[in-house]
Amino acid sequence: MQCFMCGADVGNSKVCYNCGADILLYKQIIYTSYVFYNQGLEKAKVKDLSGAIESLKSSLQYYKYNTRARNLLGLCYYQVGEMVRALNEWVLSKNLQPEDNPDADRYLAEIENAPGLLSKTNSTIKKYNQAIDYCKSGSKDLAMIQLKKVITQNPNFVRAHQLLALLYIQEGKYADARKILSQASKIDGNNTTTIRYIHEVKARLKEQNTGRRRHKNDTVSFADGNDTVIMSEKSFRSMLDNSRASFVNILLGLVIGLLICFFLVVPTVRDSVKDGNTNTILSLNESLAEANSEKDSLQSEVDGLKKELSAFDDKQDVATSYDNLFAAQNSYNAGDSAAASEYIQLVTKDVLGEQGQQAYDSLYELISPTILQGYYDDGNNFYAEENYESAIVNYKTVVDSDESYDDGAALFLLGDCYRLTDQTDLALECFNKVVELYPSNKWGRQAKVYIAADDTQLDAKEIGE
Amino acid sequence: MIDFEEELKKYEPAIEVEQAEADIKARDLTDLTDLLFNMTAQNNGTNK
Repeated sequence: MQCFMCGADVGNSKVCYNCGADILLYKQIIYTSYVFYNQGLEKAKVKDLSGAIESLKSSLQYYKYNTRARNLLGLCYYQVGEMVRALNEWVLSKNLQPEDNPDADRYLAEIENAPGLLSKTNSTIKKYNQAIDYCKSGSKDLAMIQLKKVITQNPNFVRAHQLLALLYIQEGKYADARKILSQASKIDGNNTTTIRYIHEVKARLKEQNTGRRRHKNDTVSFADGNDTVIMSEKSFRSMLDNSRASFVNILLGLVIGLLICFFLVVPTVRDSVKDGNTNTILSLNESLAEANSEKDSLQSEVDGLKKELSAFDDKQDVATSYDNLFAAQNSYNAGDSAAASEYIQLVTKDVLGEQGQQAYDSLYELISPTILQGYYDDGNNFYAEENYESAIVNYKTVVDSDESYDDGAALFLLGDCYRLTDQTDLALECFNKVVELYPSNKWGRQAKVYIAADDTQLDAKEIGE
Repeated sequence: MIDFEEELKKYEPAIEVEQAEADIKARDLTDLTDLLFNMTAQNNGTNK
């Protein structure tokens, strides 16, 4: 630490050995200043702003460079509506400690950045000062009007509240005074002037309530906007009765209105809603009919297009059929009858020209044995696998071309497949044909057995080949 | 019992914004540390 007199380093010494200054006393002064600051802070926290202001003032009397105390003092002034005093403290704080003083910087910046705040504050202060002048000159009504305006503009201005309360007390309006003092008490909870006035008002109200008996013709006063209306209790009661009658009339009107609404308006609204629904259904029906007719026209268009497409398919099939016919011819020429038979089955005979059909017939005649053999073999395979449906298809193809194929074996096996798939009539038809064509070969004999026994349920193995 | 006239005397006009600068200048900012400083300075002068 440095000596406050000569600036010499004194460490923890009580006296400066350079100039003889009392360092201990200096330290005690600084310490006391901070004790007062702490008191002020505690009071400010519990809204005892008057007490806080006193403590902070004391703190600054000990040590004027206690910047935190000065900033807090300004804040307390601001809170009780003393804007200029607050501003002065923050300006002084900034002057005494220009550097590292963020609180003062912030408060001053906020005031600077609030447009019109200072002019509004000044106008409020002028009105307050004018109210004091009015009071001193005896114009209490004018003073009260001005003070009400001041409180409206600056609701935290405690001194204005107190002065207005004083005027109300002087006028005998203790209830109003109590209301104003209650507001002041909320801003500054421990202000001695406010407390004194509250006690006074309470005492006067108590006197009014207990000391005197109310007379029948007592006057009643109440506020109507800015005016105070005074009337006798009797006329006040009659006014209340009139008000009651008006209230009943209003209620009656409301009930009638509701009934009218229920019986006239609601049915109309319901009808309109019903009409709306009917219209909606009709329009939907129309839309549906339109959609159906459109669907029909589109379907006919699709059919037409399909026909056109099939014509193109046929055209396309012409080329393919000729290709397959040539391929079949080439395969047959190369000695591959199996491939030739496969190709020729892919040919559509109807789309071929006259010469094409002749070529098809001649080639088909040449390779038909191979084709039939293929079908017959397939039929036998399916028969062996007990896939009688597929076997029927293959045998039928063979039989349609040549009923006597393989000495009636194809016809007999077709009949047997029918027998095994419970198609008895078709089976008997086949067996009869076999008997007719080959009465003496083994297929004919077996067919006779089936027919004679009329037992188509017998297995071929049981009959014996 | 409040005496209105006496009470009214306690109400002083508030400082207006125009008077703020003058108010600051009129302030006596002397604190206890200043008094201690002066006293110490006087003592030192007397001793010399």
